[in-house]
Amino acid sequence: MPGMNSGLNVSDPAVVAAFKAALVHQGLIALLIIGLLGLAWITIRAGLPAAAAAGAPTAPEATAATVAEPAWRRLLRIGFGLIWVFDGILQAQPKMAIGLPSQVIEPTAASSPGWVQHLVNIGGTTWSYHPMQAGASAVWIQVGIGIWLIVAVRGPLSRLAGLVSVGWGLVVWVFGESFGGIFAPGLTWLFGAPGAVLIYAVAGALIALPERAWRSRWLGRLMTAGPGTFLIGMAVLQAWPGRGFWQGISHGQPGTLAGMTNTMAQTPQPGFLAAWINAFTTFDEAHGFAVNLFVVAALAVTGAAFLSGRPRLIRPVLIGFTVLCLADWVLIEDLGFLGGLGTDPNSMIPMVLLAAAGYLAVARAPAEAAEPASSPAAAASWRDRLRIAAAPRTLASASIGSVASVGAIGVIILGAAPMAAAQASPVADTILAQAIDGSSTSLDSPAPPFSLTDQHGRDITLASLHGKVVLLTFLDPVCTTDCPLEAQEFRQAGQLLGADSRRVELVAIVANPVDYQLGYTQAFDRQEGLDGVPNWLYLTGNPAQLAQVWHGYGIAAEIAPAGSMIAHSEVAYVIDSRGRLRQEMDFDPGPGTAATQSSFAAELTDAARQLLGRP
Amino acid sequence: MNRPGRRLAAAAVLLPAVTLAAGCAGAPATSAPATQAAPPSPSLNTSLDTAAGTWAAVAMGGSAAQDNNFWQLFIRPAGSTRWKLVTPPGTADNGGLVLASGGQALVTGFRPSQDLTYSPLIQTSDGGQAWSSLNPLDAPLASAPDALAVKPGSGEMLALLDGGPAEEAAPGSTTWTTLASQQALAGTPAGRGCGLQSLTAAAFTPSGIPVLAGTCTRPGIAGIFAAGNGTWQAAGPAIPAALIRQDITVSRLIRTAQGMTALLQAGTGPGASLLAAWSADGGHWTLSPPLPLHDGALTSASFGPGATAAIITSSNRGQITTGAGSAWLPLPPLPPGTATLAPGPGGAADALAARGGTLTVWRHLPGGTAWVKIQVINVPIPYGSSS
Repeated sequence: MPGMNSGLNVSDPAVVAAFKAALVHQGLIALLIIGLLGLAWITIRAGLPAAAAAGAPTAPEATAATVAEPAWRRLLRIGFGLIWVFDGILQAQPKMAIGLPSQVIEPTAASSPGWVQHLVNIGGTTWSYHPMQAGASAVWIQVGIGIWLIVAVRGPLSRLAGLVSVGWGLVVWVFGESFGGIFAPGLTWLFGAPGAVLIYAVAGALIALPERAWRSRWLGRLMTAGPGTFLIGMAVLQAWPGRGFWQGISHGQPGTLAGMTNTMAQTPQPGFLAAWINAFTTFDEAHGFAVNLFVVAALAVTGAAFLSGRPRLIRPVLIGFTVLCLADWVLIEDLGFLGGLGTDPNSMIPMVLLAAAGYLAVARAPAEAAEPASSPAAAASWRDRLRIAAAPRTLASASIGSVASVGAIGVIILGAAPMAAAQASPVADTILAQAIDGSSTSLDSPAPPFSLTDQHGRDITLASLHGKVVLLTFLDPVCTTDCPLEAQEFRQAGQLLGADSRRVELVAIVANPVDYQLGYTQAFDRQEGLDGVPNWLYLTGNPAQLAQVWHGYGIAAEIAPAGSMIAHSEVAYVIDSRGRLRQEMDFDPGPGTAATQSSFAAELTDAARQLLGRP
Repeated sequence: MNRPGRRLAAAAVLLPAVTLAAGCAGAPATSAPATQAAPPSPSLNTSLDTAAGTWAAVAMGGSAAQDNNFWQLFIRPAGSTRWKLVTPPGTADNGGLVLASGGQALVTGFRPSQDLTYSPLIQTSDGGQAWSSLNPLDAPLASAPDALAVKPGSGEMLALLDGGPAEEAAPGSTTWTTLASQQALAGTPAGRGCGLQSLTAAAFTPSGIPVLAGTCTRPGIAGIFAAGNGTWQAAGPAIPAALIRQDITVSRLIRTAQGMTALLQAGTGPGASLLAAWSADGGHWTLSPPLPLHDGALTSASFGPGATAAIITSSNRGQITTGAGSAWLPLPPLPPGTATLAPGPGGAADALAARGGTLTVWRHLPGGTAWVKIQVINVPIPYGSSS
């Protein structure tokens, strides 16, 4: 998929170091936010001991406590809160910044239809252009949501946490899980359908329900009927012939399930786990029909029990379903996060939590209660609470849960803000270019003069370019690999400079002692779409003139034998408006992906803007 | 009857009527055959003879990855029995080399590969010791061994591009102009008579007239067209009666010291056969007896001195003709890895076998029954330099 893969090594030390540094910096800011909030809360409470008693509005969760939070909600809130925190921690793996698009998103989307891949590519491209910001953002957003869910017990803040969980969950489900693979062939509950994060979103939606819904009996019915219907649907899908689940071995190859577990067993993981999965694979290969029959029956029975809505029926089935989910989690999903770059524990733990919550919702349905009596505190409007004068009293009266929730929101904003800023920028981060070639070298010496011919046949000297910043490189017009990429980096830099490009000259000098004629510079310009770029100059001369310029700039351009292209230095220089060399950049374009090209263009643009006195 | 019903009834009446009317309108004298896939062009592994000697282009290096295929140019100078490496410098040639004889000079075109999208050209007039670049083509040369032609003495050139258009460059010109598109040529009376499907070769007649050749979908027509009077004239040979029902593809067409030589493939599949055709003036042709290909495809074809030609088929068999009107003669089983043959006079031939960076030259002498290894050339393949 275009744009998805930055092409860099997932363990690239420059990016990994920058990612870690970003995490540490943002972590310190997160701690600072939480610490300051806590300090403010303690200080104000100490300064205004009677604030609450004096009629300050109390926290909503304290005023509306006429019905205790139901057990199902507590289970979902804390359970999914912990999972979000765990997912956030997984996002902090050093390889995640570079690896998530290429090793998680792209393979997941590979079997989905084109429109899904196209959509997913948008998210993956954003990530690969801004790996550090995106990687760190995912960490803090998920940790923040998790903490928020855990600490916000009830009230608007708690419901909002549920909604945020839904929103972020859907983002991850669409862009990270390619809709959980529901549009791809081979969809099965065993492998994680309909996607773990969709279950997070469902749980978030339940948490976000208003308190009056807690007292509704239909909610319990809904919470069992929903999973029941889903599981029966999955049973039908599992039983559908022709999908390879009924065969342990098919045409000499492992069946669908055995093939999957066989692959899972190959991933790096503790030996005992690999041994269990291998044993299960062998068993499934030998008894594929029986295994699938058992799964179909288990899903159908569980679904039917949940559809009945009868707690006595659901309880034993839930126990069996939990065992089945745990077995699947270990033997088929491989715990979800082992091997490769795991981003979550997959679907089985969320599935068990959701099923258990459904059971609790019907088994421990709360008694109908009268509407809570309005209190003076409740009568205080939000407008009153938000008045600046009332803020200290509001803060003093807030519960520790509310303060912690605000801290968690701060952590989410801390993560989301850089991601939003990165999303707004179409240019890749310069860290990618620096990861490939290192940082540029500062210079301050006169640029070697030259007198050459441009692609239109005009004589051009370095002196004639004084007054403009010159971005200079050396390109072979018949190069088949790097030079076209480097030309595109220059072209992009010209576009990024916008109006400033009138004060910048994009200059390349031929780096080929054989194919140096005007016909070649012109053909190269047409090939790269540079023939219409007004500030683009592709200079050439006779071999002696070129050799002199190459020598001045320390460029090697050697004829290589046996059908190879010219071997030449890949360097870019930044020359200021007075004709002085100011920066030297190694200019090997690396993998030449859209992300790295954009990153080099950004690096050139930054260098030019610096000399133009632009921020 | 409701309106849809009426429509159905009308259609039921009209359909047979229209069908009958179409049948009465006069079918073409030769019924238009279903378009068949043309046989693939022979590979760019080839050899040709010039005044400077015999040249051979051979793909070497790693065959698994296209990026490690490096095409090499060898010459066996006139009067010498040894080959030497003279691959033109300065350009990556992973896409393949296309050779064209210009008398003493040899012009070489580079098929572009990877991010290069146009075709550089280079020429030598001293047997490959010194090379000078020519104005490049703005588009890729077609993947056909006769995609480039040079008019001896004048330097005028023809080039066949990917997708069919032919371009020409006047002597000393730095620009290429369109000579004919495949569609335009197909629209001429000669092109319509052939049912031109695609262009496969460009050449000059001995008198310097541009000639284009291709695949005809009308059976029994050899699609060779010469420029003249502002249009294109059919200039191909008459096909023998035994092959008149076969589609003809001009697989190769070159100008030689003796005139022109063409290789014509008649039909495809098990019944396919190959004809060599010779013409001293580009108008009158002499044909070889047909060579049954036995379901094999032409993988390499080469031309040598005295209007000789040699081919390799996909079944790894070699055949040679010794000049105008002569029959195909089988060669001994080819040495392993033979990429192309370099035919010599009287049925002699060299087989150039490539394996990685090693070229082994084997020689077959007239009347001999085996190949004799005569030379090994180690080529410093620049693995990885184009990836």
